Amino acid sequence: MKKFILQRLMYSLISLFLLSLTIFLFVRLTGDPTVLLVEPGASKDDMAMIRQQLGLDRPLYVQYATFVADMARGEFGKSFYYRTPVLELYMSRLPSSLLLAAAAMVFSLVIGIPSGILAAVKVGKFWDNAGKIFALLGLSMPQFWVGLLLILFFSVYLGWLPSSGSGTIWHVIMPAFALGWFFAAAHMRITRSSMLEVLGSEYVKLARLKGLPEKRVIVKHALKNALIPVLTLAGINLVLMVNVAVVVETVFAWPGIGRLLYEGIAFRDFPVVQTTVLLSGSMIVVVNLIVDVLYAVIDPRIRLGA
Amino acid sequence: MRIVYAMVAAVALWSAAPSSVAAAPEGQLTWGVHITLTPKYIDPGEMEGLITPFMIMYALHDGLAKAMPDNPLAPSLAESWKSSPDGKTWDFTLRKNVKFHNGDPLTAEDVKFTFERYKGTAAAMLKEKIAGVDAVGPQHVRVRLKAPWPDFLTFYLSASGAGWIVPKKYVEKVGDEGYKKAPVGAGPYKFVSFTPGVELVFEAFDGYWRKAPNVKRLVFKTIPDEATRLAALKRGEIDVVYSVRGELAEELQRTPGLALKPVVIQAPQWVSFLDQWDPKSPWHDRRVRLAANLAVDRKSINQAITLGHSRITYSLIPSTFDFYWQPPPYPFDPAQAKKLMAEAGYPNGFDAGDYYMDVAYANVQEIVANYLQQIGIKSKLKPVERAAFWSNYGDKKHKNLSYTASGAFGNAATRLASFVVKGGPYVYGSYPDIDGLFQEQAGELDRKKREALLAKIQQLVHEKVMVLPIWELGFLNGHGPRVQESGLGLIPGHAYSAPYEDVRLKK
Repeated sequence: MKKFILQRLMYSLISLFLLSLTIFLFVRLTGDPTVLLVEPGASKDDMAMIRQQLGLDRPLYVQYATFVADMARGEFGKSFYYRTPVLELYMSRLPSSLLLAAAAMVFSLVIGIPSGILAAVKVGKFWDNAGKIFALLGLSMPQFWVGLLLILFFSVYLGWLPSSGSGTIWHVIMPAFALGWFFAAAHMRITRSSMLEVLGSEYVKLARLKGLPEKRVIVKHALKNALIPVLTLAGINLVLMVNVAVVVETVFAWPGIGRLLYEGIAFRDFPVVQTTVLLSGSMIVVVNLIVDVLYAVIDPRIRLGA
Repeated sequence: MRIVYAMVAAVALWSAAPSSVAAAPEGQLTWGVHITLTPKYIDPGEMEGLITPFMIMYALHDGLAKAMPDNPLAPSLAESWKSSPDGKTWDFTLRKNVKFHNGDPLTAEDVKFTFERYKGTAAAMLKEKIAGVDAVGPQHVRVRLKAPWPDFLTFYLSASGAGWIVPKKYVEKVGDEGYKKAPVGAGPYKFVSFTPGVELVFEAFDGYWRKAPNVKRLVFKTIPDEATRLAALKRGEIDVVYSVRGELAEELQRTPGLALKPVVIQAPQWVSFLDQWDPKSPWHDRRVRLAANLAVDRKSINQAITLGHSRITYSLIPSTFDFYWQPPPYPFDPAQAKKLMAEAGYPNGFDAGDYYMDVAYANVQEIVANYLQQIGIKSKLKPVERAAFWSNYGDKKHKNLSYTASGAFGNAATRLASFVVKGGPYVYGSYPDIDGLFQEQAGELDRKKREALLAKIQQLVHEKVMVLPIWELGFLNGHGPRVQESGLGLIPGHAYSAPYEDVRLKK
């Protein structure tokens, strides 16, 4: 078991190293950030000075070595745009992102799971078709468009909800819906397919043959097993909701990590993009590591195979 | 008798009370800001060559002199200034009894400290040309130049953060990082809180030397999406909105209770004829360049894109700049344009090659290209992302035609240096007579003579038809029903609300 964990830990570290290298190089392919820090027409001397202040005049390998060394010390550098430590910025946005992700997750599960069950139980009937349309819309409608429609309807016409910002429970409703719909659709689809698979299994048939009521068969026997892949997906989706709600956070001016990433990309703020992507990647790597270890605990074949 | 005195005193106090209450700042005004506010905007020591930080500077800080509604360089913390006859020394007299928000008096030591601390965009140039700043007395500052510099005031006072004064004692106590977290200035509003990228809050500073502000609290909220900003204005969540364009601006204009407040900013846009110095190019012929200018209907473009609120000046220099010379207009005259094309030997037009543009303004350039096509000048549109566009432009990678614009600070001379005169970062060719006159004005300390030289240069730019000016961009903003005075447009060329002590809510 120890060997298995060490091996997985090693893979995780290699993944993070590759991610750091990739994001470091990719972000630099976007061009020179100093151009975005001055008005058009600024002199070359002014731009050279900014480049020097930001440390961008040094060779690429020196910049990368500094980046890795700083990271190892838990320092993620200073934002080019904000001129404040990136970690401080990230941590200040994290609570908002967690709140939005939690609300969106609750919404996506509350809508996605029951509608998935209903669609599986009523295959080919009205509820199944309605569920498919719901999923199709959720997956295909752009989030910015959904967001703007919500603002137009609930804020401008009805005047019920604040159009943007954060601070009260009312502020979170529309962004959570706009973000959660996409994931609700995904959860609905996986619940439906997982339920269909379980409902066709031998033990469910046996339960029915034993004369158990249909409700009990579905809730007690089928749903429990069908939920395993749904919850695995939900876990990964939660990480995504925290880190990549870029569009929703921008439309609703929600002060989260997604908007920080958007600002980082817009201003070619290398430290912000690097840190945001790396910390998001780390979250995914850690979640995967935990899942791997748990699988190994549950199933000895996995750890022995390692 | 005592009772009578007491009654008189009571009446006097009662009658005095309303005026003092009325003068006290009250209420809150909230802005929906289109850009992301950052801590560097609240520290003049790091001010870059952008217009944006002035949105904050005018609230939190004050400069020795600054643009005001009636004067582009109005005395503020400095009551007056004068230069020595040789132009190498400038003496500033500071206003008395000015205090920072923490109660510290503002003295010459703070001015000297601010200059020495400044490390923003213009720092290298200022430190190269300035020998030193001396605190001669508490209210007397002397700036020593290495050589006479006609543009000294422009760069020291209005185009950099070096003249926006920070408190020496406080900054030394809290350090640069501490200062960004809790800044103290000498402006009409004091700092309350800042959540980077989200919200910035100020509160009125009663001790501001010019006058006490009218509004108690100012809140700046970043709302990146344009449609969301307008929705927030409609709902009354914000009172002033920045940057609402096109159809959304029309909607703002149509909505009862809301008011569109366009501001013309110091950012002219024009098309550069990059091949005009190549004898083989059709653009070498002045008649072709003139034809292009006559072929474009600027008024229609203005109406279509900025609802008629941009200013058509026919110049690449902002009309608010010092030493600006107003060129005569180019009428929209396609028939005359075609005639000129035929005279130049291009009755059927020609292929003008590539037309480079910043993708953010591709809509405007597309219309210009269509007008040129009407007289037979065909071009291939090359929209490029902003940063790459300017980088390639500066590296002289553009050819044929290029959209050009600038919002950089300065005066007519600095703008000509960047775009017209030999050696400029965006100059692809120049004319010896213009270059000669430019050199002459650079050493001219007599303002009138310099003004005449710079006017002559701008006249030559016009006569040679060096560029196709489009407009000075109209920046479309708006405000809601609670606002009496938004401050928008009070200072010519300034993009944002200012001066903040003048903004007012309806009673």
